[in-house]
Amino acid sequence: MNKKISTPIKRVDAGMKTGGSTRYIGDIPFEGMLYGKVVRSSRARAKVKGVHVPVLPEGYYYIDAGDIPEDGKNRIEMIKDDWPVFADREVRFIGETIGLLVGPDRKELNRLRDEVKVEYEELTPVFTIEEAEAVKGGPVHGKDNVYGDYHLKKGDPDAAFAEADRIIEDTVRTGYQEHIYMEPQGVIARVQEDGKLGVFFSGQCPFYVRHAVSATMGVPEEQVEVQQTVTGGAFGGKEHYPDVISTPLAVAAGKIGKPIGLFFDRIEDISFTPKRHPSTTHFRTALDKEGNIIAMDIDVRLNAGAYESCSLVVLQRAIFSVNSVYNIPNVKIRGRAFATNNVPSDAYRGFGAPQGLFAMETHMSHVARAIGAEELELKGRYLLKQGDVTVTNGRIHEEVKLPEMIRRIEEMSGYRRKVKEYTPGSWKGIGLSLFNHGSGFTGNGEQEIIKGVVKMRKRADGIVDLLVSNVEMGQGLQTTFRKIAAMVLEIPVDSVVYNDPNTGLVPDSGPTCASRSIAIVGYLVQEAAKKLKKRWDESDVVEVSHQYETPEGLIPWDQNNLQGDAYPSYGWGVNVVEVEVDPLTYEVTTKGIWAVHDVGVAIDEKIVEGQVDGGIIQALGYGSLEKLEVKDGRFQQKTMADYTIPTSMDFPRIKSSLVDNPYEYGPFGAKGAGELVFDGAAAAFADAVQMAVDGDIKQIPVTPEYIMEVRENAHS
Amino acid sequence: MVDSYRPLSLKEALELRAEKGALPFAGGTDLMVRYRYESGAIPEYPKPIMFVNHLDELRPIRRVDHGLSIGAAATMTEVLESDEVPEILKEAVVTIAAPGLRNAATLAGNICNASPAGDSICALYALDAGVKLQSRQGERILPIYQFISGPGKTDLHADELLTEIIVPHNRATTHFFKKVGTRRANALSKLSLSGVARISGDRLDEIRIAIGAVAPTVVRSIELEKRMEGRSISEVAGIAEEILRDYDTLVQPIDDQRSTAEYRKRVAMNLLRHFLLGIVLQQQGA
Amino acid sequence: MPTVKFSVNGTSHSIDTDPLRRLLDVLREDLKLTGVKEGCGEGECGACSVLKDGVLVNSCMIPMGTCEGSEIITPEGLRETDQGKTIIDAYGESGAVQCGFCTPGMMMATEALLRKNPSPSEDEAREALSGNLCRCTGYDMIIDGVLKAAERGKGLW
Repeated sequence: MNKKISTPIKRVDAGMKTGGSTRYIGDIPFEGMLYGKVVRSSRARAKVKGVHVPVLPEGYYYIDAGDIPEDGKNRIEMIKDDWPVFADREVRFIGETIGLLVGPDRKELNRLRDEVKVEYEELTPVFTIEEAEAVKGGPVHGKDNVYGDYHLKKGDPDAAFAEADRIIEDTVRTGYQEHIYMEPQGVIARVQEDGKLGVFFSGQCPFYVRHAVSATMGVPEEQVEVQQTVTGGAFGGKEHYPDVISTPLAVAAGKIGKPIGLFFDRIEDISFTPKRHPSTTHFRTALDKEGNIIAMDIDVRLNAGAYESCSLVVLQRAIFSVNSVYNIPNVKIRGRAFATNNVPSDAYRGFGAPQGLFAMETHMSHVARAIGAEELELKGRYLLKQGDVTVTNGRIHEEVKLPEMIRRIEEMSGYRRKVKEYTPGSWKGIGLSLFNHGSGFTGNGEQEIIKGVVKMRKRADGIVDLLVSNVEMGQGLQTTFRKIAAMVLEIPVDSVVYNDPNTGLVPDSGPTCASRSIAIVGYLVQEAAKKLKKRWDESDVVEVSHQYETPEGLIPWDQNNLQGDAYPSYGWGVNVVEVEVDPLTYEVTTKGIWAVHDVGVAIDEKIVEGQVDGGIIQALGYGSLEKLEVKDGRFQQKTMADYTIPTSMDFPRIKSSLVDNPYEYGPFGAKGAGELVFDGAAAAFADAVQMAVDGDIKQIPVTPEYIMEVRENAHS
Repeated sequence: MVDSYRPLSLKEALELRAEKGALPFAGGTDLMVRYRYESGAIPEYPKPIMFVNHLDELRPIRRVDHGLSIGAAATMTEVLESDEVPEILKEAVVTIAAPGLRNAATLAGNICNASPAGDSICALYALDAGVKLQSRQGERILPIYQFISGPGKTDLHADELLTEIIVPHNRATTHFFKKVGTRRANALSKLSLSGVARISGDRLDEIRIAIGAVAPTVVRSIELEKRMEGRSISEVAGIAEEILRDYDTLVQPIDDQRSTAEYRKRVAMNLLRHFLLGIVLQQQGA
Repeated sequence: MPTVKFSVNGTSHSIDTDPLRRLLDVLREDLKLTGVKEGCGEGECGACSVLKDGVLVNSCMIPMGTCEGSEIITPEGLRETDQGKTIIDAYGESGAVQCGFCTPGMMMATEALLRKNPSPSEDEAREALSGNLCRCTGYDMIIDGVLKAAERGKGLW
């Protein structure tokens, strides 16, 4: 195991970014570029009877479903292709794209957009999971508004429930969350001189955009060239959504023949782009006479919004994560994703795991409180160990270092001592969460769907081109990928060239998501580099490639029954948060934040630490500040003033450390980190507040208003 | 394109105000948001705009006969950096927005915007501040609680400019300010409470309490204050519960995207009780 | 259209413009200075921060009509100075940069802070940057960068 790889180096892009030289999509000058403005549905659920477009001045265009080429289709081909490029005869959510106005002056476009009149025949919309279940107003999707209904079973839960001495029931909820990447959505499309459709976009998955655009336009994929531009944050919000905006833009660019840029206004971005799936998880937990947990029956319901998109993959990860780090002998889990007339829910850092993990950790703390057990002692009884069976009847193949991590966080935070010292309800609290995150695409996505390929080319001057489709979006990939290649090849990091990917120039190594870039693609980079090193002196120019292979020793995945090893490896984490609650205002002051993670090996300790810091603060926002309410299908918080993410003054410094646990099929032993570091903090925060007010916290965000309710109800 | 003007003196500004009905624009931090148009398109203002933040006559923060005058174009940062400004006003102003906005924003703008959630307004009510309104015809001074009549509503006449904020000499022996915001910095107010009191010996000479964002205007009751003033501390303690009950009927908050009526009500009353019983009545023998 | 005379990074400009046009748009579109970013357009995120007559402001909230005679410094100007280079180096070593979109604004806020307070405490640094939002770093390493710049740049501010 190579310690040198972990030694931090200065990020290769830091200087240019700080000084303002780096160009993001809004900064790129494009000769003769027109602007686009989306015309959107103002109804959550309606039939569209007609669209009346005002008379357009010279040089202005209105593009809609009728402009899609004959060979194309009015569907966005993503994981599911139910989302239309342009809403045609019906609309399913407020903000849905009906048409695109294009022209040279943005103010004129705003004015024209306000003059477009849509005739609706309104239908009864459904917004909550409960309304969707009741099929209010008739189904939005299928017969029963259920995009997917999954069942998992481990052991014999029915028998265990029959023997139970006590059953504890509990419901835990999580809310919407908006990504608030600092750079709003942006796409530019144009017809290139070579006749191909060129798309520039800020986002995570250039080949996803290529695929969606080529399907919409009815052209072979090679006729579409997609260039990722430097991405100012994404967090999953630019994983599929660029497909949604580049497809109508491509139709417009193809028809008009000039470059067109679509740049979202922040209010537009918050109001109409996809969000994290809200969840409601119901638990029935069976205990025996001694107070041991003998079975669990868990029901997960997600609010997936108006179109399915990737909701079933989110649902899968949610149900695979909802038993968290525990080996409960008998478990049955049901998961459903519901269609509603809200903005579609989609990818967001964690992708179902934060919802499942929050629910389970919070439920375990409730069980502990209910039976008078000490929380860490209760959780400690069921920790997964190497060889244990997972909820999909796979195995934990690796060593689980949770006991060591718990001891370490104990030393760092004084957790056990403070738990004894603080009297519940005396406005001070300390909370703890345990969590894990499977690296890479869920199930057999890597081998059946993605089949990622990495290429590497040595040039005559000894410079090496790294050709991958994964992107730098702040997580440090520009630096870490180069480090991996350089260290294997034993050349300076500066000798590795890794440009922002263009689909015409790189192979498809898969999307930048699922914490797979280091864990899966990094390994391909390592293996390709090894090949190149062997063949280095063969010739002036040497090119190698390496494709994904399923690691040995895994239990094969059965996608139909969701059985086997859902993930090849796991990251593990422990978080502790300490709080003080103001008895007058119920405001929470966070006094300390500690974290210990196992990401195998750090490809760069500072970059991993930066991800820990960012993930935890974003998760504390999710857990305490980021309230996003829907009323009649509209988000009530739509400005950066009202949707409050953490500032530099909201939380204290984070103290974190890593444990070593190298993974054989990770580059230098590394596993995924990007989402793991988000997964735990909300639960630790809620747990701390619970102690401070001595009342069960059952939902996030834990706002002062909610704390007041819990405290007053618990003590009335 | 809306006309905009840049007068070179206060006199010229007052002329423009009278003749063109121009909207005064100092820091503009409320106006730029209110009339914002997407993607940098130039906003549509309903009236011509008149920039006034550069006018020398409107900038000074200086002592005057009965107190302190804060010019309408003095920025919030200048208010924070002035030695003359009372502590409670600084405590309120430092919670407004963030440094970059405070470098442009003005108290005058905050007052004329007349949001019930205006943090500086809450403190200015408790300080018994007044506003000087000038026109070509002359000038008048109004107490701030007469100037503001509802959300977004002031008594500013069409030909007037608010030129100064007058803060009377503050002889408080104790003060308290608390803003409950949506987060720790750069936050809008859910509610705020300002309290000042002067205690000599065992007597409560003066008390002023203002509560923000719990009613259409800042809540201040001179009647309730007078019931407490001039009494001994122990007498005030004796009527405290009845005073609190009367304040309770004045605190009538609403639900909105930032908070709930129930929360605002309970927390406002908690803070009020804390100020009255926890601070003022503990000041025995001050 | 009225003419506004102002200077940017030491260079004088005379621009015919609607006085209500935002400084942010004049900088980005007319002067091609794209170091300032539009993150929100409502003065909340600080990605558009510049120094105007020596103080930190959000250029998305500044109409050209208030810029007559003003001296504006943008990231492009600051990065050429010793102070700017010190901040850039300190940020690079501290891991303060992830996606980079907030970073030029953070650099401007750091400069504004160190001009007033060359040896800030951690709390003072956090308050000075409280109008600049970041979604990637969780702020700790940016604060490290500020404190390191202060330490390295003794005598510069």
